[in-house]
Formats: sequence, C-alpha cells, structure tokens
Amino acid sequence: MDWNCAFTDERLSDYLDGNLSPAEAAAFSAHSAECANCAQTVALVSGLVNRMHKMEMLEEPPQLVAKILDATLGPRTQKEGWKRWFDWVPILWQPRFAMGLATVAALLVVISYTAGLTPAKLKKADLSPTNVFRSANRQAHMTYARGAKFVNDLRVVYEIQSKLQPEPETLPVSTPAPTPEKEHDSQPPNSIPQQKSQTAPIPNRTQARNRPIFAFLLTESLADGMAENTINSSTRSTR
Amino acid sequence: MRRHSRRVFNLCYRFTGNSTEAEDLSQEVFLRLYKTLASYKPAFGAFPTWLTSVTRNLLVDNYRRTRRDRQTDSIDDAMPQLEEKHSSARAPDKLAEATELSVQLQRGLARLSPELRESVILRDLQGLEYNEIQVVLQVPEGTVKSRINRGRIELARILTEMGVRPS
Repeated sequence: MDWNCAFTDERLSDYLDGNLSPAEAAAFSAHSAECANCAQTVALVSGLVNRMHKMEMLEEPPQLVAKILDATLGPRTQKEGWKRWFDWVPILWQPRFAMGLATVAALLVVISYTAGLTPAKLKKADLSPTNVFRSANRQAHMTYARGAKFVNDLRVVYEIQSKLQPEPETLPVSTPAPTPEKEHDSQPPNSIPQQKSQTAPIPNRTQARNRPIFAFLLTESLADGMAENTINSSTRSTR
Repeated sequence: MRRHSRRVFNLCYRFTGNSTEAEDLSQEVFLRLYKTLASYKPAFGAFPTWLTSVTRNLLVDNYRRTRRDRQTDSIDDAMPQLEEKHSSARAPDKLAEATELSVQLQRGLARLSPELRESVILRDLQGLEYNEIQVVLQVPEGTVKSRINRGRIELARILTEMGVRPS
C-alpha cells in the first residue's frame, strides 16, 4: 500500500483506536518508521491522548450544587426566631414515624397485659406509684412462683419416670448369659430353654410397658394441678 | 447529582476556560434541565448523553452570544493568560488544577476552533463513545471522527508550539 503523510494525518485516530485493517496498520507503521515528521506527530498525539485519558475530572466549586438546588427547587428558607424550634414538627407526619409509634403502642399493650393491667378495670387509684409498684411486685412474685412450681412439678415427674423406667434396662444385666447371636452359632438346641428362662418375667415386661403410659397420665394430672400426695398414692397402688 | 454536576462543570470549564463562567453555565444547564425534564424520552438516548447534549447546546448558544463581545474586546488572545491570573486569584486549589499539563491543556484548547475543541473534550476528557458524540453534536459519524482526529493533531501541535511536550 502506498502510504503518505496525508494518510497518516487522516487515519491517526483510527490507528490509535485500533480501527485500521492489518494491511493499513502495517503500511501506517512502515511509513512512520521512515518519515521522521510523521513519527513525531504520532508520538505527540498518542502521548497527548494517553495523558488526557488519564486526567481526572476537575472538582466543581463546592457552592455549585447548592446554587443549582437553589435555582431549580427554590432557595431553602431558614426560619428565624422561635419558629426554628418547631422545625422537627414535620417529621411527625412521616409514615415511618407513625409506624414506630404504632409499634411502641403495641408493645406497651402487650407489656401491660402481661403485667396484669386490664384497661377496662383500670381505676384512678391503680395509677398511683405505690399501687403500680405493688401490682408489679405481686406480678413478679406470681410469675416467679409459677415458674418454681412448674420446675418442681417437672422434677417430680422425672423422678417418678426414672423410678419406673430402669427395670427393662437392668433386665439384660441381671442375666449374665451371652448374647443371643453367639448362642445361635454355638449351641442352637440349648437356645430354646434359655429363651424361655429369659421370657419368664413377661408379666413384668408388660407392666414396664404400661408404666410410661401411666407416667404420661401422671404428667397430665400434674399439669392439671393435682396434689403431690395423690400422685404418691397412685404410684403406691401400682406397686 | 454531584456526579452529573461535576461532568457538566468540567465540560463547561474545558470549553470556556473560565471557572466563573463555567459555574454560571452549569447552573443554567440544570435549570434548563429541570424545566424540560418532563419532555425527556428514552428515545433521546441515555440520560448522561442527553445531559451532555443540553450542556453542549447551551455552550454553543453562549459562544455565539459572546462572540461579538470577544471580537470587539480583542480579549480573545489574552484569555488564557487572563484565566491563569484569574484562577490563581480564585484559589486554584479548589479546582484541583494541580497538574501543570491541565493548565497548559486548557490554554491549548482555548486556541482550538469550537468544533474541534468540543469534539476533543467530549471524546478524550469526557470519555464519550463516537456514537454518543454523534448524538450530542448531531453530525454524521464520519464528521465526528474527522473532527476528533484533526482536533487531536492540532492540539498536539499547539502544545508543542507552547513548549509543552505531552508525550
């Protein structure tokens, strides 16, 4: 390709942007290698373009944004004197504030109900500090007592269960016979009488099976608030 | 907002070479934008391109309006020097014009013709693509490419004449 200085000038940006065809690019480079003038132009322009691309934007004057906002949305009016103290009032009209208020109100209702306050039965005297303290104190003690009673009841149930449960677990320990699999391997004919001897306390097992159900009934009765002595008497009767 | 205002301010400053004028023009751009925002349609292209178009049109209007003053005042040649003094008096730190090249580039740009100047600014300083510049300038792509090419070469020559070696 016959390349000349005019072509170089004309296609310089295409060359820098990589938009020349391979043949054109080769001709461009070949000409630049020969022509000192064009080589200088290419070097200067490519250097300039690189520097301009790396150049960061200038910072706008700090007052510009404020000026633009003033020009478009109108100047922000500064209230003077006592009116400034009520600048926060518009905040109350925001939906998020209403949401927050509703949440707090719901929370207060929940707390007051758990504390035993019913707005319908509320009297003026209930709001006096001593009465509020007294009712809160009573409520706290009631809650503690309920919790303590629940834990006690639970403990009794577990004690009863632990007394009723261990028998099936201790059964295999009490008979020191080898495991049934080994018996099958070594002495198949002897296994039958041994099994018989193991199955001898069958009534005990059925009792043991019934016991958890009974214990469950006990927990039910405990939950209903039955007295401890009735439980004891019922356990005695089972034994 | 700040991103757009910076873009607009830079475009105005690089075109006019005067920070006060650029500030006033930027303000005017956003005022015009605010008034015509309802007429913006996605068919006009991306919002930044549209913003650049509005800015460019305003710059051209402003250039035409002030051209007569420039000719009668014969202040045109003295402008870069005037700007240098002006900007140093107006706290150049605020413009973050720390690099020497930035100042010299500004002087060089001032000596380019407006068509070449705006093309080079949009392509190399604002980083617009050729097709975006085509939309902004409302000229064919071939013209855009040719203006950018001529603008770059001429700017490099001007800077060399000024004793600046950009490479």
